[in-house]
Amino acid sequence: MDDKAIFNYCRNLGCCVACCLRYLGIKNSNAYANPTSFATKFQAEETLNKAPEDAEKCTSTVIEDISDVLNESQSQEIKTEDKINIENTQENNINSTNTINESSNGVEVFGNGSSPPSKKLKLSTCISCLGVLQEFTWQESIDMVKEVLDKKGYACNTFACALSAPIATMLRERVITLQLTNEFPEYDQNSLTPLKEAWKWSFGTHLSRHIHKTLDSGAISPLLVTLNIDYDDDIQELEILKKVSPQLFEERSRQRRRFATEFTRRSVEQALETATLSSFRAAGDALCHVSSHAHCVSVICTHAPIYLCGRYIKLSRNLPQSPWVLDGKRVLPSSVQEIIFGPIAKFYNFSDVDCEGRLKFIAAGREDVDVRCLGDGRPFAIEITDPKRELTSEELNEACDIICTSGEVVVKKLVPINREDLALLKKGEETKSKTYEALCIKLTHSKHDDCPADSPITMSPTDLRLINGYKETNDVTMMISQKTPLRVLHRRPLLVRKREILEMSAVAVPEHPQLFRLSVRTSAGTYVKEWVHGELGRSTPSLGDVIGARVDLLALDVTAVHLQWPPDKQ
Amino acid sequence: MEYNILESIDLNEKSIYKSFTERYFSKRYILNVNGIKNNDIMLLFHSNRITLLCLAPSHFFFKRDDDYKLNFTIGKVDRLSNTVKGKGKKGGQMLTPNTAICKVEWSDDTSFEIPAGMKGFLVEINEQLVKNPKLLRESPNSDGFIAIMLSSISISDSMKKELLNHEEYLKIINSSCE
Ligand SMILES: [Zn+2]
Repeated sequence: MDDKAIFNYCRNLGCCVACCLRYLGIKNSNAYANPTSFATKFQAEETLNKAPEDAEKCTSTVIEDISDVLNESQSQEIKTEDKINIENTQENNINSTNTINESSNGVEVFGNGSSPPSKKLKLSTCISCLGVLQEFTWQESIDMVKEVLDKKGYACNTFACALSAPIATMLRERVITLQLTNEFPEYDQNSLTPLKEAWKWSFGTHLSRHIHKTLDSGAISPLLVTLNIDYDDDIQELEILKKVSPQLFEERSRQRRRFATEFTRRSVEQALETATLSSFRAAGDALCHVSSHAHCVSVICTHAPIYLCGRYIKLSRNLPQSPWVLDGKRVLPSSVQEIIFGPIAKFYNFSDVDCEGRLKFIAAGREDVDVRCLGDGRPFAIEITDPKRELTSEELNEACDIICTSGEVVVKKLVPINREDLALLKKGEETKSKTYEALCIKLTHSKHDDCPADSPITMSPTDLRLINGYKETNDVTMMISQKTPLRVLHRRPLLVRKREILEMSAVAVPEHPQLFRLSVRTSAGTYVKEWVHGELGRSTPSLGDVIGARVDLLALDVTAVHLQWPPDKQ
Repeated sequence: MEYNILESIDLNEKSIYKSFTERYFSKRYILNVNGIKNNDIMLLFHSNRITLLCLAPSHFFFKRDDDYKLNFTIGKVDRLSNTVKGKGKKGGQMLTPNTAICKVEWSDDTSFEIPAGMKGFLVEINEQLVKNPKLLRESPNSDGFIAIMLSSISISDSMKKELLNHEEYLKIINSSCE
């Protein structure tokens, strides 16, 4: 295959040097960082001697005239035969004026963009990338990126960049590829280097110098700079597809899509899959005409979320895990989540609104407002969206200190983790057992109590023995059935759940003979309070059933959440 | 011990000894339902609009010591086959204030009906009561409740406002005893 011929063919169509390299299938990133010098070997003798890339000349006035004719013919919906006539006329016109490039033959959809020495030395826009790969269009984009980065102030010293290019570039690429295939039968249709890739290598490398960050792949750098580049005639140009692929778009408009969303990347891709060069010719568009280059309309910079993890100890019986709001009013002034968010927000200068949108609290389950969480605490993680930097270990230690000053929540350690580790929290919530301590009260005499009905109710050694000796099998102390508790029944389905009491033991409270302390380990998802008091017989058997008396609980603490957290690094 | 559970609450605070129903429910009463003297029922409203149906302590049922059976088939409707699906509890039997939830049948073949007392639908009949009807007499305001019902927020709120509360109920009951 004659690379030189292909290069010059594309060049003559009106492609920029970088696009010519793309059609050659060049995937060497350095080639795009400096396309003109890389392209020297492909350039025809004449073009070599002429002005370099950045002085690309406008396509000839003749071509512009032809495009006007084509535009007109298109609007008049003339018949194919007529169009062929016009094309012939174009050919004649071009051949009569084209004295420089002999290799071009025949007007295709793009016209024959030879580059005769023109008096107008204005920079011409590439007919394929619409300027996306052309350095003279970049300054505006770079200024916009800098503005966003200055505002956000990311500390990250690498970045990845992503491009949202005008959809018209897809259409143009397809047409040029078809022309190349037509011209060079051995040309491989799949050789085109994607615009996004070439853009990363060319614009990205250039941008890197201006923002003083190293360009990296999106898989490596957490900082992603996305440029949305629009082309004014985008939708107008895509109209041709309605002629090329009428069924597809008729179908879409029947689905009552709005005009603006009619051409999506997907629908255009679909239409282009089956389009042929002759169908484009029949549709008769004049794509050689580029009124103005595509330009950057918005820049979005985001840093991948970072995750911190730890375990919280909750010392208060009057503190919910997340903000408790009822009918738009706060029921309690604070929450575990807000206490932990406090120092994090401080380090990032987050407002309350920022906290709501950018900090997410994820825990391995939750305890009720009036339940403390002691021992090593409950595993949790914080997701920080679009952080401008990572927190130092000194800051993480300081955060723990600040959390502890609340007097209600203790976090001993905060460490960064990976997103993948979060799954363990969820899994932990669903599978791991928990240990509780409950302060319980015996409310009636046990069936076995051999004493007058009006004598004081006390936890007898028999009661304690019954609890401590209770065992159904070696593995499970007690199998229980729990109906959805009444306190959550309004918002959850009514179900009966089988749960397990894995271990339990009770000790007397000498100074309060009616009370006893119970330690119990349960399977995940067990409603402990309901199991203790039996919830009007909806949780059976209950703790009370073990001693044949009514039992209630006065206080409950979680003493262990049996989950390895932070996760083992192995 | 650092965080001793015994020291974590005030054992002299009376409110911690409230029973399960006292902790979570507010009591409301409807007296002489259907014009029948002392056909008194008690509705326990949870703040989440779950409502329990119970007999009020002043119900004539408690004046008799005879044996009784509970019959949950009302006309053609079997209350025990009630099912609710999903979060929305779809499919529960519809109830109006006068709909009978169950019948108490005395050993002498006389009987009386216990009405729902409110508009809504049936979530659950107390299974323990079916197994052990004595609970109705022994623990009428706890394990011997009759049914769990659910109604709209507006009905639940307006009934809580309109019906007799515990103090008002006690006043009426005590004055009628004198
Ligand atoms: Zn280009």
